[in-house]
This record gives sequence, structure tokens and C-alpha cells, in this order.
Amino acid sequence: MGSRERVQIVLAGADEHDLTKLAEFRKAGGYKTLANARKLEPQAIVDELLASGLRGRGGAGFPMGRKASFLAKDTGKPVYLVVNADESEPGDFKDREIMFRVPHRLLEGCLITAHAIDSKHVFIYLRGEYSHEFEVLRSALDEVREAGLLGGVTVVIHRGAGAYICGEETALLESLEGKRGQPRSKPPFPAVQGLYASPTLINNVETIATVPAIVERGGDWYASLGVENSAGTRVFSLSGNVVNGGNYELELGASLYELIYRIGGGIPDGRKLKAVIPGGSSVPVLTAGEIQYPLDFDSMAEAGTMLGSGAVIVIDDRCCMVQLGLRVAQFYQHESCGKCTPCREGTRWMVQILRAIDEGRANHRDLDLLLDVCDRILGKCLCPLGDAAAMPVASYVTKFADEYRQHVDEGGCPFGGESSLDGVFAPVDQHTHAPVAEVPA
Amino acid sequence: MSAELVTVVIDEREVQVAKGTGIVETALSAGIEIPVFCYEPRLGPAVGACRMCLCEVEGMPKLQAVCTMTAQDGMVVRTAQTSAKAAEGQDATLEFILVNHPLDCPVCDKGGECPLQDLTFRWGPGNTRMEFEKRTVEKPIPVSPAIALDRERCILCYRCTRFSEDVAEDGQLVAVNRGASSVIATFEDRPYRAPFSGNVIELCPVGALTSTQYRFLGRPWEIQNVPTVCGLCPVGCNVHATMREGKVRRMLSRNHPEVDEGWLCDKGRFAFTHLYARDRITDPLRRVRQRGFEELSWDDALDEAERLLREAQGRIVTALSGSETVEQAYALGKLLRRGLGAHTAVLPEATSSALDAYRLPLSAIRDAELVVVLGDDPVSERAPIVDLWLRAARRAGARIEYTGDAVESCRRLAGGRDALGKQLRASERAILIWSAEEGSGGSHLAALAGKLGFGDKPGSGAFHLPTTPNGRGIADAWAACCDEEAESPEEIGLLVVSGDEAAADPNVRALAERAERVLVTSMFQGLAVGWADLVLPGTSYLERDGTYVNLEGRLQRLRRAAIPPAPDELAWISKLAERFDVDVPPYASAVFAELSALIYDGLPFGEVGERAELRTRSVAPPAELPDEPQAPAGGTGLKLVRYRGLFSGPAVERVPELQFQRPPPEVELSPEEAEARGIMNGEPVSVTHVGTVRPLRARVNPSLRPGIARIASEHAGDLGGLVEVTKP
Repeated sequence: MGSRERVQIVLAGADEHDLTKLAEFRKAGGYKTLANARKLEPQAIVDELLASGLRGRGGAGFPMGRKASFLAKDTGKPVYLVVNADESEPGDFKDREIMFRVPHRLLEGCLITAHAIDSKHVFIYLRGEYSHEFEVLRSALDEVREAGLLGGVTVVIHRGAGAYICGEETALLESLEGKRGQPRSKPPFPAVQGLYASPTLINNVETIATVPAIVERGGDWYASLGVENSAGTRVFSLSGNVVNGGNYELELGASLYELIYRIGGGIPDGRKLKAVIPGGSSVPVLTAGEIQYPLDFDSMAEAGTMLGSGAVIVIDDRCCMVQLGLRVAQFYQHESCGKCTPCREGTRWMVQILRAIDEGRANHRDLDLLLDVCDRILGKCLCPLGDAAAMPVASYVTKFADEYRQHVDEGGCPFGGESSLDGVFAPVDQHTHAPVAEVPA
Repeated sequence: MSAELVTVVIDEREVQVAKGTGIVETALSAGIEIPVFCYEPRLGPAVGACRMCLCEVEGMPKLQAVCTMTAQDGMVVRTAQTSAKAAEGQDATLEFILVNHPLDCPVCDKGGECPLQDLTFRWGPGNTRMEFEKRTVEKPIPVSPAIALDRERCILCYRCTRFSEDVAEDGQLVAVNRGASSVIATFEDRPYRAPFSGNVIELCPVGALTSTQYRFLGRPWEIQNVPTVCGLCPVGCNVHATMREGKVRRMLSRNHPEVDEGWLCDKGRFAFTHLYARDRITDPLRRVRQRGFEELSWDDALDEAERLLREAQGRIVTALSGSETVEQAYALGKLLRRGLGAHTAVLPEATSSALDAYRLPLSAIRDAELVVVLGDDPVSERAPIVDLWLRAARRAGARIEYTGDAVESCRRLAGGRDALGKQLRASERAILIWSAEEGSGGSHLAALAGKLGFGDKPGSGAFHLPTTPNGRGIADAWAACCDEEAESPEEIGLLVVSGDEAAADPNVRALAERAERVLVTSMFQGLAVGWADLVLPGTSYLERDGTYVNLEGRLQRLRRAAIPPAPDELAWISKLAERFDVDVPPYASAVFAELSALIYDGLPFGEVGERAELRTRSVAPPAELPDEPQAPAGGTGLKLVRYRGLFSGPAVERVPELQFQRPPPEVELSPEEAEARGIMNGEPVSVTHVGTVRPLRARVNPSLRPGIARIASEHAGDLGGLVEVTKP
């Protein structure tokens, strides 16, 4: 791929102007597309979305146009648009940047999409910890309201209360309805019975923020960007042991190597690359030898992992993969909602086994047991959270089997206390808030 | 209701079911069991939480929680029987459930009747790979005085919370915390105080929610469940009485889909221990001196009873409870009316056969589109299960209207101009429910149903909620004994008081003041001592064989679960009857046979059935609308509505576990009336009527209409008519 020209869609203009202000955003052409879109038949917009090949940016990658066309028609109930801004995946921080740098692009996307699906009600479910983003988004919304741009649509910014599970679309809907944030069994899908049992389109912040550009320049134009099955651009959150961490909007199909070394400036202090998590903490890891793969949906699948939410976490050679596994498992144990059995019990068990390995109390049978527990979670849960714990951990154990065996054989960590997960993955106590009672694992 | 049939292949067996049938049921119809924990169709849509039902479904890459799926044509399902992948999935689920489940089966009440044990035995791993510490928490937690919660045993299937939220709609039982820390709890650990709380014990698929009455009392292999019918309210829920060593140890629901759908109120579930109350009478008692008592033998007691009956010379009045069996009432009637010409009986309430023309099963409420409840009594206090049917109806989209004042509403709806009346007329599935003291046993309601054209609408019907469990059956039986009618005696030579409710009734006590002699049948000394000349031991509905007629008009069969501590009523009535040359068999079957020929079309006793059918609608006598209500005689104030609380009466008073459920000393007011008086919710107030003052607490109830003050009878004292509620 190499030296393709950088195309900016979602974050376009944010480096040059303060796009949080309505006036600036309008100067840059903002809300013109909205005005034009409102003159179009809703179906015409959905057709553009279908043609664009835009796939959901939240992680699952489902084509947005198709999701919109699944919405149940003529139910006599209101249609809702829900924006998933509960960005909680470790490593992922793109939506917050979109919200605090180009909030109007998101709002314009909301209003265009609402028109496309005949909805008068938009809910933005915002991660509870995002207080700065909330303020920015709220002022932007106030400006839009005062400017009379809402066109009869109500936009509600609803703040979450700190649960990762509420990023899962049906748990988000439950939470939005004021219930315990736990996923629903699907079907019925939200397009048929979503918020308040009404047809609901639910999409990620980045997806919605892409809509204005598609409607402005056409689905075919968007489809020409990126590679086959992975149209357009993505905002990648680059973090971990890399010189220039941050959000970078790239065309899909850019190589992992390019992102880490050309854009990210490589690994600091001359250390060596050990592994890369290409799509947020929930996806299988890639080894240093696997970074030739391009960042698009199909290539990542070919590499045995996923593009996920576009969070690229770079791991250098100081990292102990057992400790990483433990922290990842602890995170998912902490965030498991408790509804379905394999995730609730399995994540806790995983933590127990990993801690035993980490502390040198495990035997080789435990390594098999750990893989088996992962396997018994995988594909058997109500929602993807269980898989999100099992897949990465299983990949660490498989791809770094020697390191795991070493822990068993040497009765502890071969790094001897010299390992570091700094900047890669926060320890578990950072995601515990008092006064939640912690169950000893 | 689609009758379209679809073909589904389950484990290579083809089965045809109606489209939309759940896969669990579809498999069952092919003789295949799909194991489940959280799945319970009565709790609403499946949630797919426990993952026990994982199966392979053709065309889907992952295992599916098939409890959440319905039958579609051409579906191919493989259960653990034929799919190694499904078997592994189910094994995995059980392994995960057991990872933190304590192995205390030997001391667990559920052991032996535990779905987790059963499913582990059939589908689970034979050993454990869990070598770490199990999760331990404080236990047992008293969810209420009647229910204990063991959070370690809990497998978080959410059946109990779904019942609380989606069936009883009390919303008191919830899950708190997250993930492996999730526990079932009540808000701030307050007691789970709701009329249907006990159902969660039965719903629990493990030993997490247990009955404090039954904990550690019996093992499933040394108990017997006797199918009978609850005798504590006019619904007549079908129940099992769990017997161990001759004693009733617990009550379980026994699903009659038309009557109770397998739910049981806490009175029906927990009140049975009144059988073993400390003041239970086991021998006949005779008054000595003014207030003393002595036991006497049955022979002496029968002599004494005969003497009392003869000395009264026909000037006998019988006070019935409404909880006697049909057979008891008929036997007593035969003895007194044919043997002694004593025809006068008083029942605690009026009864009528007029509603027989508008009969429907209670389950029809759920299928209705419009339900109108007439009257100010809370439905759940008079006939608790009806309240659950009303909630089910509302969830199914029905419109439920509460009109207040029954007599006034009845007249208004019957008139041609009322909007709601017109809608009732237009509807094909409308239900009327009368929830008030007055009403002539349902005949006013029948008149209204007639006016609204319900006679020609098989989907529309009417229910009168009586206060007694078998008032209707008793009235019919008493009437069938004899054709003669006699005037009530001027002077009462002997008052025969049949049963505890009659013995506790102040009106009956007033009659006793006028009677020369009093003969009481009662279970409890506390009710009989001090005013009866002769006391014969009474029995409970759990100790009787016989039949009851419930508020639908359904004849249901009681089976004797426990042997009473003394000969039952039929036994001594039969002996006594002999002395007056009246033939009364001592067996319920024989008494019923005689009576059935007279009023139940000769239905044999054996065919009443364990799940009794509702008789078809019959032509009923004409009924009349209530007279124009008299304007209250002057004065201002709120109309007092007294209601008998569900958790009251002689049985409940003797059950420690139910004391917390008894009605609090409060007066309910509408928000409007409360505001007009400057009264806040929970404030102490004085309720006044002429010279009577009752100190109570105010409860502002938004569903109450203005103009009334509602108080449970036991807290209303001598209040009546119009009352004023003021700050003290």
C-alpha cells in the first residue's frame, strides 16, 4: 500500500479549524448536506448508504445500509435512532476524539440518518466517564437547537454509568430504558424490536459521523475508497509501546506496519516489537511476524483476528504475556454482566487459572484447562462479551505457548519482576470503583 | 393463533407442530427432552440466560439457545442426543454452573427434587476440574420471614426476579452487582412483602430460595404430595399438600391453566401451619360454670349435642362459615332441616346462581380486550389470583378500567348512554369483575351482563368476587336438603355455629347473645371458649374429602391430605343424624352422590377430576339491577370502604411467618383527598365517625378514587358510613 494520499473524512478539517463551533463547522461546509438530504426521499439516502459499503465501526462491522433497511415498517410505533457512544473497549479512544473535535459532524450524521429512517427521536448513549466529551457534545447540541437545525427531531444525550456491557447494543437499549444493563436475546433484533419495543437503528459514533460525507459525495465515491469489502476510512486508535500514539484516520487496507512504524514512529527506546492487538482488547493477538497484514476486515480475518473497533495496541518485548492475559481476563471478569452462565463463571475461572500461572502455582494441565475453559466460553454466550474474553486469552496461550510453559516450569514469571505493561493495559484496580463489592477470584 | 403446521426435524425425528411453538415444546412433542433452567414460558419471553438448552440448528454456525427459538418449517435441530457439539455445550454449561455451586446436596432441601442434580446426572460432567476456591458469601439471607436465600447455591437463572418484575409486577426482587458478584436481593434488604412472594421458592431450580417453614424438615423420598384444592379464598387454586409423617409440611401449586396457571398466593402457600396451632381443639368441650371448659368423650358429646338439639324444639338457627364442603353443608342441612325442621341458616354473604349464564374460566381474563372492575375493594385482597390474571391481561394489551363504587357503576354501565358501557356492548371479549361487599351475590352483575348482551358472547363474561371459599356451593347444598321453608324463629333456642369464620364473625356473636344455647364447631379454642355451651372439634380444608364451588362456578375436588385429630364433621353429623332418623352417610362420596343427583346432574364423585372442568353456561334466573343508591343521610366526609384483608382471619393469625404480611394500620386516601386535608403519605391521622376515633397512618394511593377512605376491617373498629380523616 505504502504512500497513498491520506484521505480524511470523519476528522476532516479538525486540524485546521475549531469545528466544535457551529459557525466554524458551517464555514467548512457543515450542515449543507443535511439541508440537501432533507429534500431527498429517505430511501434515496438508504440507497446511498447501501452503495457506499459502509460497515459498522463499533466492532462487528455490519453494513449500515442493510441494517437500516431491516427496520420494521408501518408498525405504528415510533422509529428510534440510537448512537452507541459507550466506547469502552480497552485501547479504543476514537469516538471520544470524534465527539470532542467534530461533534457537529456526529450531530449532522444523526439528523441525516434520522431523516433516512423517518425517525424523530435520537438518543446518544454516552460512556459515563466521558465528561469532557459530554460538555462539548452538549454545547454543540445547544447550538444546533438554537440554530433551528433539529427540524422537529429530539436529540437526547444519555450518560451511562460505567458498564462496558452497555456498549453491547441490546444491553445499551435496556440501560437506556432504565433497566439493568444486560443484553437481550436476539432475535428479535433492534431493527424490529429495539428501544421500547420499537424499530431502532443503532450505530457507532464513527459510523454516523461518516454518513454526511457519503450523502454529500455519493455512495459510489465512498465505495471507491479502501479495499474490497472494506470501503472507506477508519479512525485507528494507536496505543501501547509506540512513539506517536493517537488517533489516525486511514483508508482501510493500510498496513499494520505502516501504521506502527511510518505513522506511529515505531517502538520507543529501541526496544523490539513483540505483538500487536489490532482491534481492541477483545481480539486475538498478532505476533511481531504477522504485521504485514493490511488493516481491513478480510485480511484481519485471514490473519485469524479481527479489525474490531480499530484499536491497535502495540506491545514490546518487556511485556509478559501471562500478565497481559491476566489483566485482560480480569477486565472481562469485572465487566461480565452476569446474565449468562459461561461468561459469568468462565471469566472468573479464567482469572483464577491465570493468576495461578502468573504466581507459579500452576502445572501443565492448567494450561490445557485454560484453553479448554476458553473454548467452552467461545460461541456459547448470550452476547459477544464472553468471546471477547476467551478469544484473546486463548490466542496468547497458543501463540506464546513457550512463555506460558516457562511460567509453569520455572514456578513463576521468567521476567522476574522486570516485565512491564505500562501503557498497554491498565491493572484491574483501575477499573474498580468503590463501593462495588469485589468477589475474590 | 395460527393453526399453520410446520415440520421440524429434531434428532432425525420429524415432528409437526403449530408454527411458532417453542423448540423446547416441539422437542417434547417428539419425545425428546431439551434441558433448561431459566426457560419458563409463564414468565414471559425466554431470556436465554442459563445456556443449558444449547443445540445445533442447521444453517447456524454456533450452538443456539433453542429455548429462545420457535418452530419454523424445515428447521433441523440436533440435541445432545445426536450432536457431539451440543452435548459438549451442555456439559460445558453444567461445568460452569457447578464451578461455584456448593456441594451441599446432602443437607440441601432441594436435594432429590433438584433440576440441577437431575440435569447434572444426565448431561453433566462426572468429575470436577475446579481446584480453586469457590465463591462464598453470607447465607442464608432472610428475604422475608417466609423465604430464605442461599446466594451460593443460586445459579442466576433470573426466574425469581422475572416473576417479581413481569408476573406479580411487585418489582421487589432484583439482581444487584455484576458478573460473578451478581446476587439476588431486595431493595436495601427490606423484606419481600408481596402477596405472591412464595412462588419464587417453587420457581427456583436449585436450593437457593427455600421456605423457612420447610427448611430441613423433609427429604423428597419420604414425602407424598396430595393433589387437592386450596380452601382459603373463593378462587380455589389447585395445590399439592406435601405430607410427611402424617403432617402437612408445605403447599405447592398444581397448575390448573384455567384457574391459577400454577401460581399460588402466600396465604394459600404458608397458612397451612394453622392446622398445628397451639390452641387447636382435639376433643369435644363442654362449658362448666361461666367461662370454664372440660373435655368430654365423643359419646357424651353426642348425647349433649342431641340434648341441645331436642331442647331447642326446632327454634334453631345455623350460622355457616362458607368454608364447609358442599357435602358437610348438605349433611348438616339434612340433619337440621329434615330431622328437626330447623330451616334457618345464615351465611356470611349473599349468593346467587344468576351469573351461571355468563360463566367463563378465569383464564379468559387474560384473553380479554376490555376488563371493567366494579367496586372499591382491592381485587388482590378478595381473590388474589384474579389480580395476576388482570396483570396478564394488561400485559397482553387489554384495557383495564376500575370504576369504583360498584352499585353506582353498575347502574351507570347498564344505562344506554355511558361511553364505557357502549364499549362493553361492542366488545366480543369483555369481562366484568365485581369487587365489593354488596352486590347480592353477583345477581346485580348478572343483570348488568345481561343488559350488555354478554349472553350471546361466548368470549365475554362476568365474575363476582365473594368473600367465602365455598359460599355458593353451601347455599346450593343447603337449599337442596329440603323443600320446606320456615320463618326464622322469634327466639333462638339453639345457635349452631359451623366453623371458624362463623365463630369469628361479630354478627354471629351478636346472634349468640340472643340464643339460649350455642353449639360451636371450631378448630381453635380461642374462638369458642367463653360463649359456647358445647364445642365440637372442627377440621380444615386439608383434612377433608369433598367438593367446593369456586367463584367461576367450578366444582372442584378436595382430597384429605392430613388425618384430622378428631372425627371430621361428616362422621359426627352422620352419627347424630341417626338419632333423629335421618340417613346421612359418613363418606363424602356417598353424600355427594345423593346431592349430585339433585343439583349436579348426577356427576359421579370420581369424575369431578383432579383438574376440574368448568360447567357450560346454564340458563340462570332473571336478575335485577341494584336499586338507586340512597343518598347518604346528611353529613359530609369520606365514604368508608372496609375490606377484609387477604392476610387476616383465624388461620393467618396463627401463622408466625405471615404476621409481616398482615395489613398495616393505615387508611388509604386518593391524592386529591390527601392534598385537600394537607395530609402526606405515611403521616399519622385520626379517622373519625360520630364518636369513634381511630388513630391510623395515611397512605396516599394514586389508584384510589376521591371520596372514599379505605381501611382493612381489622383496623376499622366500629367505624362506618361517612368518616373524616384529619391530622391529630
